[in-house]
Amino acid sequence: MDLESLGKEVKLEIQKAASIDEAELIRIKHLGKKGSLTKVLHTIGNLPASERPKAGQLANKLKNELAELIIEKKEVIKQKKSLPWIDLSLPGRKPNLGGLHPLTILSQEIQDIFIQMGFSVVTGPEIETEYYNFTALNTPKDHPARDMHDTFYLKDGRLLRTHTSPVQIRTLEKLSPPLRIISPGKCYRVDTFDPIHSPTFTQVEGLWIDKNISMADLFGTLDLFAKKIFGKDVKTEFFPSYFPFTEPSAEMWIQCPFCKGKGCSVCKKRGKIETAGAGMVHPNILKALGYEEFNGFAFGMGVDRIAMTKYDIDDIRLFFQNELQFLRQFDDSKL
Amino acid sequence: MIVNYNWLSEWVDIKCKGEELAELLAKIGIEVEEVEKISGDTIYKIDITPNRGDLLSVIGIAREIAAKTEKKLKKSIEYKFPKVNTDNKINVTIKDKEDCPRYTASPLNKIKITNSPSFITERLKKCGIRPLNNVVDITNYVLLETGQPLHAFDFDKITGGITVRRAKNGEKMVTLEEEEEKLSEEDLIIADENGPIALAGIMGGLESGISENTERIVLESAFFKPSLIREASRRLKISTESSYRFERTADMYMVGYAAYYATGLLEKYADGKIMGKIIDTNPNPNLSRKIPFSYNKINDLLGMTIEKKKGISILENLGFIVSSKNGDEAEALIPSHRNDLKIEEDLIEEIGRFIGYDNIPLRFKYSNYGPVWAENRELIEIKKIMVSLGFWEAINIPFIEPGWASKKREEAIYLENPMWSDKEILRNTLIPSLLENTQRNLNRGEEIVRIFEVGRVFSKGNEEEENIGGIIAGHISKNWYGNDREVDFYDIKGIAEALLEEIKIIDYSFKDCKNPLFTKEKASSIASGGKVLGTFGLINQEVCKDNVFGFELNLKKLLKARKEECFKKVSVFPPLKRDISIIIEENTPFGEIKSILDHSTKQRARIKLIDIYYAQKIGKDKKSLTIRLEFYNPKKTLTDNEIKGDIKLITKKLESIGATLRE
Repeated sequence: MDLESLGKEVKLEIQKAASIDEAELIRIKHLGKKGSLTKVLHTIGNLPASERPKAGQLANKLKNELAELIIEKKEVIKQKKSLPWIDLSLPGRKPNLGGLHPLTILSQEIQDIFIQMGFSVVTGPEIETEYYNFTALNTPKDHPARDMHDTFYLKDGRLLRTHTSPVQIRTLEKLSPPLRIISPGKCYRVDTFDPIHSPTFTQVEGLWIDKNISMADLFGTLDLFAKKIFGKDVKTEFFPSYFPFTEPSAEMWIQCPFCKGKGCSVCKKRGKIETAGAGMVHPNILKALGYEEFNGFAFGMGVDRIAMTKYDIDDIRLFFQNELQFLRQFDDSKL
Repeated sequence: MIVNYNWLSEWVDIKCKGEELAELLAKIGIEVEEVEKISGDTIYKIDITPNRGDLLSVIGIAREIAAKTEKKLKKSIEYKFPKVNTDNKINVTIKDKEDCPRYTASPLNKIKITNSPSFITERLKKCGIRPLNNVVDITNYVLLETGQPLHAFDFDKITGGITVRRAKNGEKMVTLEEEEEKLSEEDLIIADENGPIALAGIMGGLESGISENTERIVLESAFFKPSLIREASRRLKISTESSYRFERTADMYMVGYAAYYATGLLEKYADGKIMGKIIDTNPNPNLSRKIPFSYNKINDLLGMTIEKKKGISILENLGFIVSSKNGDEAEALIPSHRNDLKIEEDLIEEIGRFIGYDNIPLRFKYSNYGPVWAENRELIEIKKIMVSLGFWEAINIPFIEPGWASKKREEAIYLENPMWSDKEILRNTLIPSLLENTQRNLNRGEEIVRIFEVGRVFSKGNEEEENIGGIIAGHISKNWYGNDREVDFYDIKGIAEALLEEIKIIDYSFKDCKNPLFTKEKASSIASGGKVLGTFGLINQEVCKDNVFGFELNLKKLLKARKEECFKKVSVFPPLKRDISIIIEENTPFGEIKSILDHSTKQRARIKLIDIYYAQKIGKDKKSLTIRLEFYNPKKTLTDNEIKGDIKLITKKLESIGATLRE
C-alpha cells in the first residue's frame, strides 16, 4: 500500500474512535513497533539511494501528523466525558403559541388563489341599504327570491348584508370595467343557530366583467379554483340553478373528497358537495350601471361550508365558540 | 315539493328509475333532495327555485322530463267548458282586472260529501296532504297535478254573488283554521254581500267552507296578482300550498284546464252535476308573448358552438314556437306556463340547460387588467402579529346585550328582528364576546387563555369600524423551569407594546383610561398624534369578577399612526453598559424617571429597568430601582470618558426629583 492511501485510512480510523482505549489501539496498530507505518519506514532502505531521502521525509512527516491527531482525539474524548449529563427528554422552553381561526385561514387561502388568478380584493360595509343588497341586484321587494335571503333589519330600515354582492355594485360604481374582483366578508341571515345554520357566515364572492365573457370562462375559472383548493384530482360538476342577479345561473358541486363519490356522512350520501353558486351577470344590473356593452360572470361561496367539508367539521357552531381545543387544530403556516 | 313516480308516468314515458331520474332532473337544474322508495312507487322530494312556479306540479315536472328525453306528453291539457242552459249561474264581479285577470266559477249541485276513492287519498298522503272529504281532496289533487290552486265554496252560504275586491280597512274574516284575521286595503279578498268569504289565493273562510251537509258548491279557479298574494301572506303570516304557488305566478291557461278537470272529477267522485253556466271572466287570455334572440349570442354566451338545428329543437321540445327571421335573428313564442322567461339570456339558459352544463368547455384566459390589489391586506398582517405573540384568533357573532353599550346607549344600533331577544344591538366593542369565549375556555380547563379578534364594531356616530381586541386570563402554570403565577397588568401591557412596536408605531404615550369596560386604576389608554387609539388593562370587575386583562384598539387609527422610518446604519461597535441604582419615593412612576433619562443623554442610549427592590433598610415608602443604560455610537467604541458627562447630567436630574444614588 502506498503511503498516501495508508495515511487516509488511518485518519478515518482516528476520526471514528469513540474511546481513549480505541485511540490507543489505533496508535499501536499503525505507529507501534510492529505497526503498519513502522513497517513502511523499514522498507525505505530497499529503495534506490536517490529516492530514499524524500521517501523517508514523507513517511516521518505522516508518522508525526498521525501521532499528533491521536493525541488530539484522546483529548477531545476526555473533555467530552467531563460535560455534565443533560436530560434530552425534558420538554423545551416553548414560546407561547397562537394561531389563526380556520375561517380566516380558509378565506385567505381562497383569496390568495384568486389573487394569483388576477383578481383584486375589495371590501365594503356590513350595514347595507335595501338598494345595494337587493334592488341593484335585480331583486325587487315582491320577488319570491327574497325568501332565499331572510334578512336582519335595523330600526332605521337599513339591513345587515345577506351576501357580499353589494360590494360588487359599489365597486362598479367607482371603477369601470374591465375588472376582476373578489369581495370577502361577513354576511348575515336570519337562521336558527344549530349544527348546520348560523346567523353569520363568511363569504367570498367574485366578479369578472369584460367583453365577450362566456359560461366557458366561468366554469373554467371555478374549476381551476376548485383544483387549487381541494387538490388537482378533484372532479367538478356544474348544474343549472337560479339567482335573480345572474342569467344563466349555475351551481358548482365537487366530488366528495372523503368518499370519492361513493356517498358518506360528509356529503349526506350524495357523493358530491355544493361548493359555489354562480352565473352570468344579469343584463339588468349592468344596464342600470351604464355598462351595456360589457358582460361577465359572478360567483359566490360560503367559507364556513367549505371549511366544514375540508376539515370534516359537523357543527358550524364550533366556529363561533372559539374553544382553544378546537382552534389549535388548524394549520396556518401556509399563509 | 313532493312528486311520485307513478303519477309522473301517467303524463310521460320515463325510461329511467329511482336515483337515475334524480340525476336526469339534476342535469336540467331540478334538484332532488331525497329519493324514497316505497312499495310500488318512488317519492321525490324536490327543491324548486323561486323562479319556476310552473314546476310545482306533476305536469310541470313531466314537461321537463319530456323535453329532456325528447318525448311528447301522454295526455293533452286542451279543454272546452260544457254548455249549460239552466239559469243557476253565480254572478262574479271583478273590481280590478289587474288584481285578478282571470276568474272562473263553476256551480255544481247534488254533491254528496263522502270519502275520496283510495287512489286520490293515497296520492295526497304521499305528497304530505291530509285527506278530508271528496270535494276538498279533489281540489288538492288537481292542485298537485296541475299546479293550479282551487277553492270550493258552499254555494248556499254565499249571499248574492261573488266579488273579487280589496278588503276594507278593519274588515274581519275567520279562516278555515278558525283564526280571526283583521284585513287591510292591501289584501285581496273574495266577498259576498255580507263581507269576506276568502282571502284570495291564500285561504278560504270558515263560514263559506265545505261541510258534511254541503249539497251545492262553487268551484273557484283563478289567477291572482303574485305580489299581492305574497305581501298578504307575509303580513298575515299564513303560507299555504295555494299562496306558495300564486306568489310564484300561476299559469293563465291552466286556470281553465284545472277548472274543467276538477269539475269532471267532482261529477265522477262526488256525484256533482253542473247546475249553471261556468263563469270565466277571461276565456281567451292573450298568451302570445315573444322573445327575440340571436343564434350567435347563444354561442357567445355559452362559450361553445351549438348548431342552429339543435338550438331550435331544444326550444321546441320545451313547447316554444320558434320563427327564424333574417339570418341570425329569430323569435320564440313562449308558452303561458313559462312566466319566468323574459329576455334573450333566459332563452339561452334554457338551451344551456338542455345541452347540459357538463358539455360546456372549461376555459381560463388571463387578461392583463393592470396591477392586482387587496384592500384588506392589513387585516391578515395584523392578525399574524397577534399569532406571533401567542394569541389564538376568535370569530364571534356580533350581537350583544344593550347593557354593554353603557353610557353610549343612544349610540347603539338596534336590530329590528334580533336573533336572540336579549342580544338586540350590534356590538360596539369586541370585549363582551371575547369574555364569553374566555369563560368558556376556562370552564373547559384551560389554564391560560390568550385570544383576540379583529372585526367590525358598530355605533351611530362612527357607523362601522374595524377593531382589534384581545384578552389574557388565567395563570402561567408551574413547570420545571418556572413557578406558577397569575397573569397581571404587565402581561397585557407587554402585548400592547409589542403590537405597537411590531407595526412601527414609535410615537405613542399612555394616558388615563376613560373606558368604563376597564378598571380605571389598572388600565391605560394609548394615544398617538393627539388621538386615542384604544385601551388596555384590567377588565372592570363589575363586568367580570376574575382577574381578566384585555385590550381594544381602533385598527384604522392604529395603522394611521405607523411611521415608515428611514434606515439607520447598524452599529458594529459594542454598547457601553452602565448600571445605576437609585432610591426614590415608592409612588414615583417609572415613566417619570424614564422620561428624564430619555431626554438627558447626548449619546444615544437604550434604557432598561432591570430591578425593583423594596426593603426595610431602604426606608419606609421607598423603593430601589436599578437601571441599565446602554450607550452606543454607530461610528466608534465609546470610552468611559465620553459618557461621563451624560452620567453626571442624569444623576443631577434624578436627584432633582428626590432620588438618591446607591453605591
